[in-house]
Amino acid sequence: MKLEISGLTKRYGTQAALDALDLHVTGGRVLVLVGPSGGGKSTLLRVLGGLEKADEGRVLIRGKELPSNESELLAYRRAHGFLFQQFNLFPHLNALRNLTLPLEEVHGMTPAQAKETAEAALHRFGLLAHAHKRPSQLSGGQQQRVGIARAVAAKPEVLFLDEPTSALDPEMTAEVLELIQELAESGQRIVLSTHEMGFARAVGDMVAFLAAGKVVEAATPAKWFEQPESEQGRKFLSRVLRYG
Amino acid sequence: MESSALRLWNWIAGILIALVFGSLCTLVFLKLSVDWDWSKPLQPEYRQILLRGWGCTLLLSLGGLVGSLLVGLLLMLGQRSPLRAVNLTCRMFLEFVRDTPLLVQLLVGYYVIFGPLMSRTLEGFGWDEKLLIGILLLSIFEGAYLGEILRGGVESIPKTQWESARAVGFNRSQIYRHVIFPQALRRVLPAVAGQFVSLIKDSSLLSVIGVQEFAYQAKVYTSMTYGGLEAYVPLAVGYLVLTAPVAFLAHRLERRFRDET
Repeated sequence: MKLEISGLTKRYGTQAALDALDLHVTGGRVLVLVGPSGGGKSTLLRVLGGLEKADEGRVLIRGKELPSNESELLAYRRAHGFLFQQFNLFPHLNALRNLTLPLEEVHGMTPAQAKETAEAALHRFGLLAHAHKRPSQLSGGQQQRVGIARAVAAKPEVLFLDEPTSALDPEMTAEVLELIQELAESGQRIVLSTHEMGFARAVGDMVAFLAAGKVVEAATPAKWFEQPESEQGRKFLSRVLRYG
Repeated sequence: MESSALRLWNWIAGILIALVFGSLCTLVFLKLSVDWDWSKPLQPEYRQILLRGWGCTLLLSLGGLVGSLLVGLLLMLGQRSPLRAVNLTCRMFLEFVRDTPLLVQLLVGYYVIFGPLMSRTLEGFGWDEKLLIGILLLSIFEGAYLGEILRGGVESIPKTQWESARAVGFNRSQIYRHVIFPQALRRVLPAVAGQFVSLIKDSSLLSVIGVQEFAYQAKVYTSMTYGGLEAYVPLAVGYLVLTAPVAFLAHRLERRFRDET
């Protein structure tokens, strides 16, 4: 996946969440963002996912410029998938309807097509038995998997995942990570942020380490996890891997 | 307390309350019944008066229900408008309507604003101008309350729902229609039902602009029969027939929504 970001800045009040961030990625399918909380991972993902407009800077994703007006952004969001930490599903609809509603309304499928597509997606992730349950009847891990199934059902160009397992306990984390790994292996382009370093290393083709709104370094996981070049990166790794 | 003892006391309390209430009612009605004449309401020509009034109130209520919902929806959307001028105007209009008496609004609204403005046109179509303007004024008044109730409902839906809805690619109207409204409606249902009950009862004030609704006809009946207050008993029952189903339906829906989530 080709990704070129230059001088990307996003401010909230006087606080710069992204501070003239640069990142160039030329290959690979899975880009993993790691780094301390508050370092800008979420903001970067939200900008890349078309949910937030940057104040300055330029983003080229797969050769195309990230749009800046609302109607083009809407089209952009429809072509990509996005998953938050939690509360992705609509609580008044069952799992199946959570999938079919956007397929019908956003992607123009007939109800029959949408149902077929949605059931295929749920089946793929072993969730078909839960199709008629409401989100409140599902575990956190199942909710996230349904959320991913919904994002993937529409065949997104890129799937953006913002700390998809941060709100889950270890067992559920494992089931969600397995699913993401399977997606990655099947060729889905993914940009995700995570605190699961083992997972980042196993699944990522490229790792970008963010701190204070900048990409401090970007490298292949094998290289970065063995020998981070920056002092900040070394400190971060020694801290998060101490008990890992 | 044990459950059997509780049940016993419940029975005793129930019987005591029924006794007190029953004897109070008997006392009041015995005292009143001297001048109450129940033969007249049974005569068709008099009964007609009350029935016609009830029909008119039914029309007012149905019209007001639809109208106030529209006004409420517009005021809610207006208050959430990103245009400051629009949302301030809606806000001020809503406060003004809610904070002045309905009676004044009806009199000024009919005799000063809408009467001179549309009476002729409406009559030209052969429509009952008083009834239509009455529905309009009632819709504006109750709509202001609904606007506030709906705004509260919409704003009570967590921001994460907006985010998720944007993330799946919904546009603004799709977000409202498929994600926000269905959830907000469940939350505001009891308040909306209460507002509808108020609307039905408030329609009795329209007699001041000469709409021949139920309360108006009760007065007409009383003056025609030189009666006491007996017309007000069927009046209360007539309103109950309209309001009780609203309350009942709201409770049913509320329970269904609760089971769903």
